[in-house]
Amino acid sequence: MARPFAPWRGFAAMPQQVRRLAVVIVLLVAAYFTARHFLVPRTFGEKGHYRAAAVDSIAVLPIHYAGREACAMCHPAEVAKKAGSFHRGVSCEACHGPEAAHTTDPIGHKPTAPRDRAFCVRCHAYDPARPTGFPQIDPVLHNPVRNCFTCHNPHDPTPPRPPETCAACHGEIARTKAVSPHAQLACTECHTADPRHAQAPRQFLPSKPASREFCGRCHASDAPPPAHLPDARPPKVDLATHGPRYVCWQCHYPHYPEAR
Amino acid sequence: MQGYIYPNEFELQWSLLIVVYPYLTGLVAGAFILASLARVFNVKEVQPTYRLSLLTALAFLIAAPLPLLGHLGHPERAYEILMTPNTRSAMAMFGFVYLWYLMMVLLLEIWFDYRKDLVVWSRGKTGVLASFRRLLTLGVTDLSEDALRFDRRAGKLITIIGIPSAFLLHGYVGFIFGSIKANPWWSSVLMPVVFLFSAIVSGIALMLVIYFFSTMLRSRPVDMACMDKLGSFLLYALIVDFSLEMLDFTQRLYEAEESISILGQMLSSRLVLSLIILQVLIGTIVPLVTLFLVAPTVRKRGFLKVPDEFRRLLYFVVAVFIQIGIFSTRWNVVIGGQLFSKSLRGLTTFKVGLLGIEGILVAGAIMLLPLVILYILVKVVPPWPDAEAVVESELTGADPVPAVQPS
Repeated sequence: MARPFAPWRGFAAMPQQVRRLAVVIVLLVAAYFTARHFLVPRTFGEKGHYRAAAVDSIAVLPIHYAGREACAMCHPAEVAKKAGSFHRGVSCEACHGPEAAHTTDPIGHKPTAPRDRAFCVRCHAYDPARPTGFPQIDPVLHNPVRNCFTCHNPHDPTPPRPPETCAACHGEIARTKAVSPHAQLACTECHTADPRHAQAPRQFLPSKPASREFCGRCHASDAPPPAHLPDARPPKVDLATHGPRYVCWQCHYPHYPEAR
Repeated sequence: MQGYIYPNEFELQWSLLIVVYPYLTGLVAGAFILASLARVFNVKEVQPTYRLSLLTALAFLIAAPLPLLGHLGHPERAYEILMTPNTRSAMAMFGFVYLWYLMMVLLLEIWFDYRKDLVVWSRGKTGVLASFRRLLTLGVTDLSEDALRFDRRAGKLITIIGIPSAFLLHGYVGFIFGSIKANPWWSSVLMPVVFLFSAIVSGIALMLVIYFFSTMLRSRPVDMACMDKLGSFLLYALIVDFSLEMLDFTQRLYEAEESISILGQMLSSRLVLSLIILQVLIGTIVPLVTLFLVAPTVRKRGFLKVPDEFRRLLYFVVAVFIQIGIFSTRWNVVIGGQLFSKSLRGLTTFKVGLLGIEGILVAGAIMLLPLVILYILVKVVPPWPDAEAVVESELTGADPVPAVQPS
């Protein structure tokens, strides 16, 4: 007579398989919790999904950086000069290296000062990932061989002469526009920039076209060909019906219109 | 490189090992689902592959985490994912899904299925293998009719639990890709479903290859009813899989998000070989047409009357083609998703290396390892129908003996 499957009758009444497997599973679960007991650090989970004591063990590591306040105590002139320059956000030790040792032994540990071109281009070589407006140069073409500090004071790196072209700072836009249908348009065709923008770019922002009619000068259905580009055949739209609620550059990227 | 890409997109972070990983877990899920067809849905024809499928699933499951461990580095820290469970991380929780599937589904089902045989094979024997088999019985030597019936019922129950577990196992892999919303090639709710059905296709195809190959190797006659059934299941799964992929494709095409143009460029340049030729043509269209013509689906003998010897060879070739196709599918998902820039304006290139942890040699070794594990498993617990212990004799009072003594 087959014994019906009835686990509620108690452990002893269960089939032998279930009893043995239950023992194995209980052993495995116990092994898991025992392993957890020994392997999970005591302070794990106190403050988050990490070992809270890690904060203390990191805190006792030797300190390499002194911090900018330490520099300011002895070098107020350099710090003041830098504070008014474009490098105001760059910490002293970003260029001079970690110098906690210099604060305890100023004579024995002299900070280094990078004199190599390769050092500055770590930040200032052209890289499309850098934000637009960030000064970026082509290290091969930009005053080759000369050390950067012969023209730029690192504590106040404003160039001795203002940049002559927009591309000096807006390299990514210039490179994008160069392969776009707008390649032949000068930047000043659409933007008006105060001459002081070259010295203080964020205080004197250049203008952007604010109306649909501006683009319509070339792209409206009744617009004549541009005077200085008589052979150009710009695409035409009816301004009255073509997305009337938007300024053109809300949909079309002017530096690379209709990117494909 | 072509067009504009961001500097951090030049090098691919997920490389060949991450291609191997979903391929292996897919085979696990697929092989298990084939086994459950035999068990739960009682498909008599595929019975000869039942135990073999379970062992194959186990062998591939054991090897499945290796590509991840190799890719991440520091495999000695892998246990930490289980020691300090992070419930907010899908990847961390998957450690438990894996463990559940390994311990509570596969091992249990294999144990219940083999217990009778393990008892019979080890009874009265000495030696390492017999002792090991005795250990595997966990001392449960009861071979009464009740106990055997309980084994069968428990096995069936575990299979039923196992089906959603297998879905979870491979659905998770698709889920990880599908939930990366910044990547238009991956971000799709259909991803887990597509992964699942391609897993079923690859699992059935793998079992077809392994069954055919192992039967040939053992010089036994190939069960053509089984091969025909596997062939027709393969066709059905392939039709569903292909339809889902086409649905995904059509949806993307019709939706035409801003990424469509760069994805189109990628399809027509970087992925021509791996997607259009290997995945779609060799891995899908050719098997679909062949199976439709020769497998007994609509008509009892198929549309083309092909002699058995040639038909099983066709099944074998089709199954190998499908493996190539499914591997390409994994490649196209993993590598394809990293070939185009998030700026949607450029494509990078990927060249797989030969040496190194992400190279062809390591990936090849990891993909061969399950076959080595399967070989060992087959030696310990032979899955062949003719090795199965005949316990009916138990009822007549005689000692149960295997039909053929397993080696």
